[in-house]
Amino acid sequence: MVRPHSDRSAPARRYRAPVLILSLAVALVAAGTLTGHAAQRAKRTAGHAHTVIIEGMAFKPQVIVVHPGDRITWINKDLFPHTVTSTAGKFDSHPIDPDASWTYVARKPGEYDYVCTLHVTMKGRIEVR
Amino acid sequence: MMKRAVYLLGAVLGAGMALASAQGLPTDPQIAAIVVAANQVDINAGKLAEHKAHAADVRAFAKRMVTDHTGVNKAAVALVTKLHVTPEGNATAESLRQGGEQNIANLKTLKGAAFDKAYIDHEVTYHQAVLDAMDKALIPGAKNPELKALLVKVRPAFVDHLEHAKHIQSKLGGQ
Repeated sequence: MVRPHSDRSAPARRYRAPVLILSLAVALVAAGTLTGHAAQRAKRTAGHAHTVIIEGMAFKPQVIVVHPGDRITWINKDLFPHTVTSTAGKFDSHPIDPDASWTYVARKPGEYDYVCTLHVTMKGRIEVR
Repeated sequence: MMKRAVYLLGAVLGAGMALASAQGLPTDPQIAAIVVAANQVDINAGKLAEHKAHAADVRAFAKRMVTDHTGVNKAAVALVTKLHVTPEGNATAESLRQGGEQNIANLKTLKGAAFDKAYIDHEVTYHQAVLDAMDKALIPGAKNPELKALLVKVRPAFVDHLEHAKHIQSKLGGQ
């Protein structure tokens, strides 16, 4: 396909096909990401929202039962930071400051014990059914 | 009839308060001073230990004490300011403050494992003493419902810190 009389344009043509493929790939990835976000949004709206209050060195309620896709928000009403940390390494809020909150979407059915890594007496559990 | 009932109520309340002061229950301004002194003592010890302690879990505990007790003190100061309660010095607050100073002076003479042990031993005793004071004097003595509510709210923090300190104490003892 390379025409012998147009040496100068040859390199440009050689790049054209890969550039096209690359653009297509970028477009596909972008579309995929967008679809993923839209699906996630839809799933989030479909799930229920639950609240766990952290106060007086306790998670209230201590055990929360949710369905897959439900959102759980922990609100720290104490005077110092707390964490919501899975004992099995599934999730970790890192320190939540007083009056701040942290949200987690429970996806897989199961029982998930969690603790506050800063305070030894604080324990909670999420049951996803 | 109504007037008599009010007088009677007043007499009963008066007798109750007389009994309360006979038992040595502190007033709200005294409670405010005790709460601030109690937290400050543990913040000071924690500030020293978070740098000087040898074991990582002792340093982490000290850092936790500084953060948590600073949070409690900020809330206590904000509340008494809002309530226009002026903290009033008293024997309990003073003995807490003196005990804290003695503890710091002693800790400054120690290093390494000996420092860790002395700091943690004192933390166990201190949190137990503050819990006893809360249960026997501060919570029963608090008249203002918001002050009482704050004390009730922070009590579990002292329980948690005591458990945490005891846990470290048992580990240090086993070494």
